[in-house]
Amino acid sequence: MTIILSGLASGAVYALVAIGYNIVFLSQKTFNFAQASLMMLGTFVAFVGVAVYELPWWLVTIAAGILIGLVAAFQEFVGIRTVKEHYNLLVTTLGASIIMEGVAQLIWGGEPRPVPFFLGSDVLDFLGGRVYPVEIALVVVVVLLVVALKQYGQRSMTGIALLGMSEDSEAAQLRGVNVKRFAFAAFVFTGILSGLLGTFIGPKTYAVATLGVALAIKGFVVLAIGGFGSMGGVLVGGLIVGLTEALAARWIGGDFANLSVFFILILILMVKPTGLFARVRERTV
Amino acid sequence: MSEAPMLEVKNLQTGYGDLKVVWDVSLSVSPGEISVLLGRNGAGKTTTLRAITGLNKVMGGEVIFLGEPLDKAATHERVAKGISYVQEGKRVFKELTIEQNLLLGGFTRGENKRTLTGELKEIYALFPILDEKRHLTAASLSGGQQQMLAIGQALMAKPRLLILDEPSQGLAPVIVKEVFARIHELKATGIGILLVEQDVRDSVAIADHVSVIEMGRATLSRPAKDVTYEQIQAAYFGKVE
Amino acid sequence: MASLWLKVRAIPGWVWPLLFAVILIILPFIGAPYPIVRQIELTVMLALIVSGVNLSFGYAGELALGQVAMYAAGAYAAGLVSKAGQTDLLVQLAVGALAALTVGFISGVPGLRLGGWSLAMSSFFLILLVPDVLSLFKEDTGGRNGLSGIQPATIFGTPIESEAYYVVIILVGVAWFAVMRNLITSRYGMALKVLKRSPVLAASIGVSVFRTKLSAYAIGAIPAGLAGVLFANLDRFLSPEAFAFSFAMTVLASSIIGGPASVYGAIVGAFILQFGMNQSTTFEEWGLVFTGLFLLVGGVAFGGGIAGVGRSLVRRADRAAKARAGHEPPPVLDAVIEHRDGATLEVEGVSKAFGGNQALSDVSATAKPGQVTAIIGPNGSGKTTLLNMISGFYRTESGVISINGEQIQGMSADKVARAGVSRTFQTPYVPEKLTVHEAVEAGRYGRDRSNLLSSILRLPSYWRVSREDRVEADKALALVGLSGSRDEMADSLPLGNRRLLEVARSLVGSPKVLLLDEVASGLDEDEIEILADIIVKLRDAGSTVVLVEHNFRLVLRLADVIYVLAEGKVMAHGTPDEVENNPRVMEEYLGVTPDEEESEKGGVS
Repeated sequence: MTIILSGLASGAVYALVAIGYNIVFLSQKTFNFAQASLMMLGTFVAFVGVAVYELPWWLVTIAAGILIGLVAAFQEFVGIRTVKEHYNLLVTTLGASIIMEGVAQLIWGGEPRPVPFFLGSDVLDFLGGRVYPVEIALVVVVVLLVVALKQYGQRSMTGIALLGMSEDSEAAQLRGVNVKRFAFAAFVFTGILSGLLGTFIGPKTYAVATLGVALAIKGFVVLAIGGFGSMGGVLVGGLIVGLTEALAARWIGGDFANLSVFFILILILMVKPTGLFARVRERTV
Repeated sequence: MSEAPMLEVKNLQTGYGDLKVVWDVSLSVSPGEISVLLGRNGAGKTTTLRAITGLNKVMGGEVIFLGEPLDKAATHERVAKGISYVQEGKRVFKELTIEQNLLLGGFTRGENKRTLTGELKEIYALFPILDEKRHLTAASLSGGQQQMLAIGQALMAKPRLLILDEPSQGLAPVIVKEVFARIHELKATGIGILLVEQDVRDSVAIADHVSVIEMGRATLSRPAKDVTYEQIQAAYFGKVE
Repeated sequence: MASLWLKVRAIPGWVWPLLFAVILIILPFIGAPYPIVRQIELTVMLALIVSGVNLSFGYAGELALGQVAMYAAGAYAAGLVSKAGQTDLLVQLAVGALAALTVGFISGVPGLRLGGWSLAMSSFFLILLVPDVLSLFKEDTGGRNGLSGIQPATIFGTPIESEAYYVVIILVGVAWFAVMRNLITSRYGMALKVLKRSPVLAASIGVSVFRTKLSAYAIGAIPAGLAGVLFANLDRFLSPEAFAFSFAMTVLASSIIGGPASVYGAIVGAFILQFGMNQSTTFEEWGLVFTGLFLLVGGVAFGGGIAGVGRSLVRRADRAAKARAGHEPPPVLDAVIEHRDGATLEVEGVSKAFGGNQALSDVSATAKPGQVTAIIGPNGSGKTTLLNMISGFYRTESGVISINGEQIQGMSADKVARAGVSRTFQTPYVPEKLTVHEAVEAGRYGRDRSNLLSSILRLPSYWRVSREDRVEADKALALVGLSGSRDEMADSLPLGNRRLLEVARSLVGSPKVLLLDEVASGLDEDEIEILADIIVKLRDAGSTVVLVEHNFRLVLRLADVIYVLAEGKVMAHGTPDEVENNPRVMEEYLGVTPDEEESEKGGVS
């Protein structure tokens, strides 16, 4: 049971990455490889704020949101809107991600830094297993976030505009939607979100420079399973990836954790390439 | 009409990328007037509309709306100024509900959702079938219903100029008559209407002004009362009047 | 000065890299210090891996970095083979290449079906898995502690000293780049360039998209495997850390900086990254940041990388020199078409629905050789759908389409193209990085295939096919009047000429059936005249020409038979006179009812 709970929490982290991917993908059909690196930076801000300077967690959270939001805005200016060919975006977002990793490494070195969780770091007994408070919190946060985003998408004018934009950008423009500004805002929002989540993710994963790449890939698997553009699918994907990884490590062997997830990825991509709940419809020739 | 034109297009040249499709088109629309733009497929009608709304680049000539050249204005800015364009092919948001589609139509006015929701009933009064299906996705509508939805969407923006691109396409004649009747009714509200069509009869019947485009050039442009069907037909074949 | 430049340019291009290789080889013998020698060894190995990436990314357009996993496969294969007693380097190279190729196929077949981000991410995952896989077999591979005890390499029984090994590394590099260069400059390379620009265009000239991408990906595995073997024998110790994600980023950055779509760019990029990164310890700390910057800047600004910049400089110098030296224009061939054997195209009872929308209902038509058959109709009438079905881009569910009796419905687009059906597209697809002449030659891909091996080894069959391609392309260019632009870049042509280029490309392979899709749109009067002239010549030579058009006057002028489509059905068909006077056509298509049309029939030419 402990394994399952821990796996769910990991799955929640991957799902959070996938949510970020989705928002950018829905608003401008772009995949930001650096999404997870933004979250990595968020964990470091949390580390510096909470562990080093011992500031109140809510202050650190807000500061992180602002800082990482700025980083995202900068990335958009320099490496997204400047790119002419769509396939070069993979290269530039990769580059951004590596730069972030490099900077984190320069400042803090390669050792993982622990980030205390504001609701306590002592193990709890829960549903027959042992779990850290942050792990429960992560699962709660990701579910709430998905619900909130879905509601926002359906109900608010901005949300409806975003959904319309992702289906048909030209038609949205003709309804008065400033698609460029919206896409930018959505991108910066994923940065702010990444920063805000630093105080939640950091305690689980530790703040470490190499976090970005592993999360980026596993987050992608969540997306592939759940479907590009589907917020609800993200929860399903996160569940599957997190559990697979944890159970495989426990029951088959540590080396098989990644391999099992990879196997699931390939399986899904072969059988249903757009994911289980894909929002984006395939177009014919 | 004695009123100053709200839209003036002068010697427009435009196209796609560097492909020039429209070489010389001039037209104008005045408030409370229906101006009809005719021409065969590929003549350049939609391309002209796309240039007016900012979707295609203007390569020569001018587009002036309410006395100001539209030049560099982005599409969404032109929409905010009061131009509403119903594209051909019933381009509504198929994955959104009817209600969401209509609300999105009013987006440009910047009102909050509650205000816009209150105005929905005016559109439903015009097109009752949309009211019945308000929570269904647009994908579940028939072609004619989608066309009505598209027009309803455009009206939610309370535009000064309404541009309609082949609204009769793919619709049964009975529905076409109904749609055209609604368009005619809109005149009274002071909106200017630019109607692009292939269906000559029904559109010329409600027109105040008729233009014909052939191979990217305007071959005829005059008040409806001064033109005959023979002249229109000749204009289709490029005989300049 | 200009004439000197032209003389220099007349020397075959491969001489320069060869010269460079020779210089590299003699370096240690004229006193270059050991650290430099070692860096060069590492650079050559990096360049090999980058070259593999260039093949699949730069040329085939698919980003996948599985090469790192293939590098690991080659290295460990060599290491294990060596420990098992087989120290002959040539054997190891073969084994390593094979191991890499296997990884290539296994990851390529599923991966390439996905394409795009999915492929890229899957390949990154593959790299992440390398340490796990190695750890699984740790008794053999040493797992995370690494593989040691690799025996020194030998060739034909004699051990290779370290200076000699240096030369061996360079020779392997030379051999591979020679193969790569021969591949890229052959039809295969051209197919890749077309494929990258537009898979649709590629299929229409007979390129099997999936097979070609897979072959590029798999062939790109070989240099990575070779590099792995060389690496294993260099330090005789392998650690999984050498195959980490950061190394993959170095590979990618080298590719981007050097120019992904170039043969020698791999060498340039590898040199920059290898030497650049090892300048000082501070540089090493900043290694990741710099690699990331290279990627970021490269992705934004650098399109063709250094190689691309070099190429456009050379081209500019060429133009200036030619202008100065006054070169003779190429001989203009007679614009005459020899007799062609058109085939009869029969469409019987074809229907097609998209979701609930019935695009075509029971359409039948025949196009005969020596005739121009036109298909006209308003938007949404199904003209393009019909054309796409004939050329194999849409699947036919009911009905029969045949060429001289042989059924072609159900064939994929590339097979249809190889069966002799050639077409143009409404928006001309112009491949990048090809000259006008090469772009036209591409149309001959479906004919006389010379296989890969003969291209690599430059066998006589390669030269023969190559020459025929050149001659036929020249003839086609003369026909459309583009001979003067022969050596210009295809994407620099203005639109009207691009259309004519498309037409030239479509007829260069002597197709049995030629489908022209709205080829007159966007052309001015003079260009339409040229087009009409070509169509008449083609018809008189016996071709089967199918013309889908909006330009009614042109159709009336050129067509022998006209089919009028409306709402997915054939509304009328017959000679131009019959169709023109058909009252239903007047009404449906032109929107004018007959009773209003009592006066003259007006300006119908």
